Amino acid sequence: MARSTVGSRALDDLTATPSPGAEGPQLQRRTAKSRVDEWMEVDFKFGGSRIKRKALALVLLGIPGLAPLFFMTPALLTLNSNTFSVSVDDTLGTGAEICLFLCLLVSPMVTITGQHWFVPLRRWYGIMMACCAIGDATAASITDTFAGGVFGRLAGHVFTLMGFFMTMLVLPLLATGNPWAQRKLGKYWKLLHRLIYGIWGLLAAHLILLEGLGFQSGSDGSGFAGDGDPVFHQRFYQYSACSLFLLLLRLPPVKRWIAARQKEGRNWLVYVTIAPIFALFLFGFIFVINEEIFKGMDSFTEHPSAE
Amino acid sequence: MTQTYSAGARGQLTSGGVIIAAGSIVAAILVLLGLVYAAGTGARHQAALAAAGCEPGLSPSGQQCTTAQMLTSQYLAIATPADQQLAADVAGYDASEMHSVAAARAALTAQVVSENTFGTGLAAITFPPAMTPVASALLRDDQALAKLTAQQARSASLTRMRSFNRRVQAASATVQAGMKLIRKDL
Repeated sequence: MARSTVGSRALDDLTATPSPGAEGPQLQRRTAKSRVDEWMEVDFKFGGSRIKRKALALVLLGIPGLAPLFFMTPALLTLNSNTFSVSVDDTLGTGAEICLFLCLLVSPMVTITGQHWFVPLRRWYGIMMACCAIGDATAASITDTFAGGVFGRLAGHVFTLMGFFMTMLVLPLLATGNPWAQRKLGKYWKLLHRLIYGIWGLLAAHLILLEGLGFQSGSDGSGFAGDGDPVFHQRFYQYSACSLFLLLLRLPPVKRWIAARQKEGRNWLVYVTIAPIFALFLFGFIFVINEEIFKGMDSFTEHPSAE
Repeated sequence: MTQTYSAGARGQLTSGGVIIAAGSIVAAILVLLGLVYAAGTGARHQAALAAAGCEPGLSPSGQQCTTAQMLTSQYLAIATPADQQLAADVAGYDASEMHSVAAARAALTAQVVSENTFGTGLAAITFPPAMTPVASALLRDDQALAKLTAQQARSASLTRMRSFNRRVQAASATVQAGMKLIRKDL
């Protein structure tokens, strides 16, 4: 009986339309957050069938995850080993980095917005990251110019060794990234999937070993200063700018602080505090996407850029 | 116990606030520095072009001046695969020139394709004025070599085909010399 009362009370909380000033801030927030998720659950007619708004939104937000593989398709169909040799690391490697960041972005966005309709994108971008990383490693093992056979091409340098480790770690995640494996592994599934944090850390090592900590000056150093922005093209700087947001919003004290402010109805304070960190994330991420688009288009037209 | 829990929770809330505030301040400073740095992009771009020996004022309107680094990368992207493919085609011809007209012709036809591909790629690169004569000469030599190889491929007999060998080798050596010159200039 008591349970039934609690259940109906909870349902009331979610469905009730609060009159201004009559309900507390907590209920208003809860209602607002559930409204977006509920709105996304509504069907609409499309070509004689009914589709959920959420499904359409997820498809549209998920399509960019295919871009890195799409960019390499012409080179694959024409077996253009030169394009693979010169630009697969930039196209699929950067693509894997983008997908990793988008995968890691989902949890912080849930923390901030309280919405859950976009959570399936975490799995999608995780799978796309794995496909890009495996594709990159496979192509590098065949077409790279490093000595030492397949293993030499994959792990002959310390930075490629880091990439190799990342690819190895991504394999169990890809294999168990499905509901069946989730059911079978039970409580160990979440533990296993924390390997993503290992991949995130190894990416930092990979980029530091690849480009160092400095940036290009004149014709020396990493990146490409041709456009006058060598700092923005330094991959480790881009990584750091993106990671600050993704890392801070995962820290339990920060999550608790955000939850407490939301409970007080002071969401504006959360947004104001987060804004500079999110701006920094966007600042770094835009240049990662810039890299992907330009190198990707070069790969797509099979005129690979070795910059 | 409740008091201890509340104190702990307050402490965690405070530490969370401090962490996020510190992160926010650092991020704000970095974004501001980034914007200030971005304001100098134009000047740095001109300096980078000038450092690469490429005068922005001389480049065609609306077209970015190509730096030496970009030029090298563009050239290598066509020269390296062409070199590798030609080496394979020449080996194919050497293996069949004494006994099979069909195989020798196929190898020579492949050579013509490789030479033409290299020529097309070379013509698409915009070289700086100082390098244009060398690049044009290399393009002419490559076209001449492709024409000669095509004539050789049309030969009806192996003897007739082999009679082209010396001339093709000489033309090929000219192309190789031109390629070396370009690499030296880059």
